[in-house]
Amino acid sequence: MATVTFKGAQRWYAGSDKPAVPGLDLEIRDGEFMVLVGPSGCGKSTTLRMLAGLEPVDAGAIFIDDRDVTGVPPKDRDIAMVFQNYALYPHMTVADNMGFALKMAKMNSKERKERVLTAAKMLGLTEYLERKPRALSGGQRQRVAMGRAIVRNPAVFCMDEPLSNLDAKMRVQTRADIATLQSQLGTTTVYVTHDQVEAMTMGSRVAVMNLGELQQVDTPLKLYDRPDNLFVAGFIGSPRMNLIEATLRDGRPMIEDMEVPVPAATAGRIRGPVTIGLRPESMRLVSPSEGGLSVEVIMVEELGADSFVHGNTRVGGETQSLIVRAGTRGAVHKGDVVHVVPDPAGVHVFDTETGGRLGD
Amino acid sequence: MNGSASSGVLKANWFTYTAIGFVTLISVFPLYYTIVMASHTNAEMAAKTPPLLPNSSIFDNVKKALDLAPLNLGLVNSVIVSGAITLGTVAFCTLAGFAFAKLRFRGSAILLAICVATMMVPLQMGVIPLYMLMAKFGLANHLSAVILPSLCTAFGVFFMRQYVASAVPDELIEAAYMDGAGPFRVFWSVVVPAVRPAMAVLGMLTFLMAWNDFFWPIIVLSSQNPTIQVSFQSLATGYSPQQSIIMAGTLYGTVPVLIVFALLGRQIVGGIMQGAVKG
Repeated sequence: MATVTFKGAQRWYAGSDKPAVPGLDLEIRDGEFMVLVGPSGCGKSTTLRMLAGLEPVDAGAIFIDDRDVTGVPPKDRDIAMVFQNYALYPHMTVADNMGFALKMAKMNSKERKERVLTAAKMLGLTEYLERKPRALSGGQRQRVAMGRAIVRNPAVFCMDEPLSNLDAKMRVQTRADIATLQSQLGTTTVYVTHDQVEAMTMGSRVAVMNLGELQQVDTPLKLYDRPDNLFVAGFIGSPRMNLIEATLRDGRPMIEDMEVPVPAATAGRIRGPVTIGLRPESMRLVSPSEGGLSVEVIMVEELGADSFVHGNTRVGGETQSLIVRAGTRGAVHKGDVVHVVPDPAGVHVFDTETGGRLGD
Repeated sequence: MNGSASSGVLKANWFTYTAIGFVTLISVFPLYYTIVMASHTNAEMAAKTPPLLPNSSIFDNVKKALDLAPLNLGLVNSVIVSGAITLGTVAFCTLAGFAFAKLRFRGSAILLAICVATMMVPLQMGVIPLYMLMAKFGLANHLSAVILPSLCTAFGVFFMRQYVASAVPDELIEAAYMDGAGPFRVFWSVVVPAVRPAMAVLGMLTFLMAWNDFFWPIIVLSSQNPTIQVSFQSLATGYSPQQSIIMAGTLYGTVPVLIVFALLGRQIVGGIMQGAVKG
């Protein structure tokens, strides 16, 4: 187990006019499951590869515990990595794949076999030990890749989108398996994904990245409840948060003729144009007489436990799409016009120019 | 439906078999006719209706050929030369191919370009300086003078570079680095098993090329220490050389190549197919 610290870590690819990661400062606690999440090209995989030693660090430093590993080769960092496409050695059996790192460490054959068997039992792979990877399903291959990482008992696990090649059902199952395994082992884990649902369900903390910059690091629920900026607000949450530019009337934010209920402390910090963030569950359907925003329903997404109304409204003369969670099943249909009002407790206010959050 | 694609697999019909049979016949005929010619005299072959079947005098003709030319010495020398060139080329080209495909180092692209560009220089242009070099090293008339210049070829490097790049994903190599392997261990434990089919193909092509090479060995080797191709020369002496003896000698010199193909054929064909599919 170990802590991981990035201190201004920078990666600049040759021929690029700006760095892929301009200078990352991030502290990962001992035993923590840290998820790096963000859209494609945000620098999350580069960050992970810098930690693993597969990418050089052009400036700054990376520490594992108190040891500066910035220029240390991958094999000497005490890190195991699980790759997106598993990267299993195709000509080796499952047992040989799992034991390869131990063989490289010159561990004797008996101990090696014991360690492989223990890991295989933990992952339910004992009956596949003599098979080649091509004779395994995607889920089994994924478990072998996990097994290859855990037999080494490393200080840090690095996982680069390990679930992206699995089908939806297997992904949900494996997601839970990895999270359980990590909490059993207590090994510090850095996990990269572009899927915010994966990030929210697995991470003890989540680091949201965009364009190489760290946007926010927090627990999943805090990210959801209190996004620091417009990017995090729009990225975290499924369905996404509705972001609507408001106009100011006497210092109070208005969406068309509807006044947005904003706490006094927040209202006091409004200096210019603001964007209002409303989660689908922070709006409720009301009768037309209660006012609110009028929304034309274009689709109703019935998920069983929930139903989400997708619709369009007019804001400032332009069409704005909205997603609202509908309380009652079958109450709203495509083509209906409904009225919605925000729940005062669920209103997020952001400075439109800086993108920063205003108020708590 | 015969001959059409159903679920991505083409079924053979009578036309396919006829076409394949015809191509096979054309390919095999020269070898067969060598056997026929090796068992008949010049007069028999010049008859109005030339013979189409071999007979047992082929063994006598091989014996005569062996008396006439140092074929056995040529055969041993060719096995040594072709074997060494094949082993060297496969080893060095695979190493170089791996380096060009997967290792990051300064000047890699330029070095590869220079390497590929050397393929455009005809062998004949370099013969005189190469001979002078070999003579300076004291290697003229030594088998090593044939082996050394051919131990690594630009074609082999390029061929292996392309195959390694397509058949070995970067993650596999990175996984091995993470597992504690160094570059040579990665090459030996991860890259070589993955590119074995390509190595077999390169090995076969190199062996054939080295076996059939006549131009450089005849320059650098004497007739007392020939390769098989050079030793055939001694068969074609005299005012009216006996075609049957020349053909018997040629046949004798072809057998090792046929054995190599028979032993490696399956893997070689598999390798060619794999390379084709992986693009």
